[in-house]
Amino acid sequence: MPRVVLPLLLALAGLILFGQGAYIYAKALVAQVLLERAFEKAIATGRETKPWSWADTWPVARIEVKRIHARAIVLAGSSGQALAFGPGHVELTPDAGERGVAVYSAHRDTHFAFLKNVVVGDEINVMRSDGKQFHYRVDATSVVRFDASGIDPLAGGHELVLSTCWPFDALTQGPERYLVHATMIRDAPGSR
Amino acid sequence: MTTCDEIEADKRNEQPSLTRLVLFLVMQGVAVILVGFAALFLSFEPVWSAERLSANYLKPGDARSGSLLIKNEEGYADATRLGVDVDLTVSGPTVRARVTQIFRNPTKDWVEAVYVYPLPSGGAVDTLKMVIGDRVVVGDIKERQQAKIIYEQAKQNGQKAALTEQERPNIFTNSVANIGPGETVLVQIEYQEPVAQSGNEFSLRVPMVVAPRYNPAPVVQSVDFRPDGGGWGSAKSDPVPDRDRISPEVLDPTTNAPVNPTRITVRLQAGFPLGEVKSHHHAIKTEKADASTSIIRLAEGPVPADRDFELTWKPVAEKAPSVGLFRERVGDSDYLLAFVTPPSVEQAQQKPLPREVIFVIDNSGSMGGVSIIQAKASLIYALGRLQPNDRFNVIRFDHTMDVLFPAAVPADREHIGRATSFVDALHANGGTEMVPAMRAALSDNAGDANYVRQVVFLTDGAIGNEQQLFETINALRGRSRIFMVGIGSAPNTHLMTRAAELGRGTFTHIGSVEQVEERMRGLFAKLENPAVTNLTAKFSDVTADITPVAIPDVYRDEPLVLAAKLDKLAGSVEIKGRIGDRPWVVTLPLADAAEGKGLSKLWARRKIADAEVARTTRQASPEDADKTILALALEHQLVTRLTSLVAVDKTPSRPEGEPLKVSELPINLPAGWDFEKVFGERPRAPVMPTERRAETDARVQVAALKRAQPVVTQAPNTVTLPRTATDAELKMIAGVILLTLSLILLVFNRRQFNRRQMSLR
Repeated sequence: MPRVVLPLLLALAGLILFGQGAYIYAKALVAQVLLERAFEKAIATGRETKPWSWADTWPVARIEVKRIHARAIVLAGSSGQALAFGPGHVELTPDAGERGVAVYSAHRDTHFAFLKNVVVGDEINVMRSDGKQFHYRVDATSVVRFDASGIDPLAGGHELVLSTCWPFDALTQGPERYLVHATMIRDAPGSR
Repeated sequence: MTTCDEIEADKRNEQPSLTRLVLFLVMQGVAVILVGFAALFLSFEPVWSAERLSANYLKPGDARSGSLLIKNEEGYADATRLGVDVDLTVSGPTVRARVTQIFRNPTKDWVEAVYVYPLPSGGAVDTLKMVIGDRVVVGDIKERQQAKIIYEQAKQNGQKAALTEQERPNIFTNSVANIGPGETVLVQIEYQEPVAQSGNEFSLRVPMVVAPRYNPAPVVQSVDFRPDGGGWGSAKSDPVPDRDRISPEVLDPTTNAPVNPTRITVRLQAGFPLGEVKSHHHAIKTEKADASTSIIRLAEGPVPADRDFELTWKPVAEKAPSVGLFRERVGDSDYLLAFVTPPSVEQAQQKPLPREVIFVIDNSGSMGGVSIIQAKASLIYALGRLQPNDRFNVIRFDHTMDVLFPAAVPADREHIGRATSFVDALHANGGTEMVPAMRAALSDNAGDANYVRQVVFLTDGAIGNEQQLFETINALRGRSRIFMVGIGSAPNTHLMTRAAELGRGTFTHIGSVEQVEERMRGLFAKLENPAVTNLTAKFSDVTADITPVAIPDVYRDEPLVLAAKLDKLAGSVEIKGRIGDRPWVVTLPLADAAEGKGLSKLWARRKIADAEVARTTRQASPEDADKTILALALEHQLVTRLTSLVAVDKTPSRPEGEPLKVSELPINLPAGWDFEKVFGERPRAPVMPTERRAETDARVQVAALKRAQPVVTQAPNTVTLPRTATDAELKMIAGVILLTLSLILLVFNRRQFNRRQMSLR
């Protein structure tokens, strides 16, 4: 019956697409749970711990913005695979807490969706997998092209940049990135 | 009744069928739009990745210099990358150079990297270090075959290994085995070199690229048939048996961004208060530590390795010191290095002899671009400097050859005019058959003893059969003296210096059009003034092993450079010679020698060069010469034709069964060269690069920095941010639209179906 086949095919395609989309969100959510566990374990054991046996990445830090109750486990590397599970620590930028600019990057519609709610003055807490904690304060936000970020990872000072795609509500991928710049707060209570 | 009913039913159905058609068409349209949208969306990924790829990876030229390369799902660039850091320390008469090559393997495969690079022809390479992570493996000197075996063995076992081999005295190859995916391996070589002096000026030169060489035709095309042989001939052996080893891939500069970014730092401790310090082909920043020490860096960060770095410095004083004496004690021997610049004595009694000058100009394809302009300007300048009582001739060659006049002609206005227009009309094209041109230049038929015979040979020396040329010079030089003029951004200095030495002349280098006049004036001072001849050196109360054994004639403003190995440091050395028709003597007390560094290596290197020359000139049998070279090389830890440095990491790193890929690193075309003239036609590229800057591989630099190696000083970077948008939302929306659509269709169909059923009833 051709008149049933067409709607069924459309329905199938629709289901597959919807499923794919939902899978991305599901992966992002489930992975964070697994990552949280791996991260706790990493802090406890002091070793790089893979969240699941076939993972090609491991948690390196946890970032938290207390004011808006947002948190995420950051992974080593910013390959597409890693970014599906959590924010990635961009290669060749220093670790958080070290001299230079640490850059974390994540998807605008999953882990870093909360960046649109982050405002200048917010405090970002970063706990590294070695258990050390660092506190940063947001001092600027900006929109740049992906290849002209103007970030010198070896600059002096202790800085943190969170990056995600811009604009937040766009449906397709674009060349623009939204950056949240934060600078370490010295002598903050509870640091180290 | 039935019929009527049927007609009625038909009429009733007509209207809905029309609507149905329209609706169906609309649906079709929506579906097409949706599918199209989906297709568009699906194709977004490749479109973006393609753009990002071209922006960052495949064509680094499009990327801004200094951008970080980030791994992402599109993958890495597919080639092994290289960064070079050159650190030079000048202490008085010697240069100690540390060249760090940073090999990075961005691919997913295990790689063996092979890089062909030049070094100064007088450089004595004595150290090889391989740095993997925080481990340093120091290389050992071994006989070349043995080193190769050790390296191959390590390569098979999956161990990291580095091998430094000499292809020519100024061309070396580094091979690095088993660089793992994403790994960076640093290979450091160190060499010692004497500082060059000319008149008031001291200089050093760092060659950065091996210019593409013209290698004359191989065996099959050079079969000699004797005229009376009755069809029997003899096949000549290949003039360039190692052609593959000295011909790395050269990137076309119009379609490729320059590769192999190089940093240079020079710590200049001249030993006297410094006057002008000048880099001839690169912008530099000079930092004065004190009066006699300067630190020189490239002004604009890393440069592509596509031209020689040339640095000259002068003392503040009007006159440079005319004598330098340095000593070093190694083991139980003393080594001595002496520089003596003979005074320029005016010839009072006797007018200098008129000269017969044969100019030879290379107009082969490798001279294309700026080089031929420099060569023509130099030659036209030289023609203008001839005196009326001189005689001259001009020979031009590529793979063919023309001699302008049947024999040397007087340098009168008419002949000079003809020669000038002949030179002016030259174009660079074709191969470089240098040997026949040299043979023609040296054929001295007239043999008029009233003339001093000089050959001025303008070329970039871009040939692979140097040895053939040396043999020709040695066999035919007669009374002619050969003055090599090296043209272009990366001339073959080994060919130039050795040819000048065998031809008892000098080597002048012209690296840019601006240098033509100054350098040619210097050359003419040498041509027109008598050389210091019959030079001998005698040590008063020690036995000395002196090199060069036969001291070559010294031209105006040049120093006599002498190295010696002594059993003890005592007494003095007396140097005797004749300046024109006057005797000249200078005595240097050895006790006054200053402490120098690496002099033993320089002495050994010079002795090895002597042995190589003796081999060429058949003064020593090849076996004897090789024995001498091997003994010297092993004793002083030098890389030579017969010895290589090899470093092997003890722990294997490549897992068994993982294949190893060979990656021969491409090199730049020397600056100012014309790609088409050397490699033939290529498809026209629509865009020309505006600015030639090597892409800095910041990844490599940071890796180096983390190791606290004094390798890289700064990293002008910007981070390339990864793609951070998922298509989840888009996919879900598209899915919902499709689902809704199918639902509408279903409902619509159901209604149609019901209606049909009803009408049938």
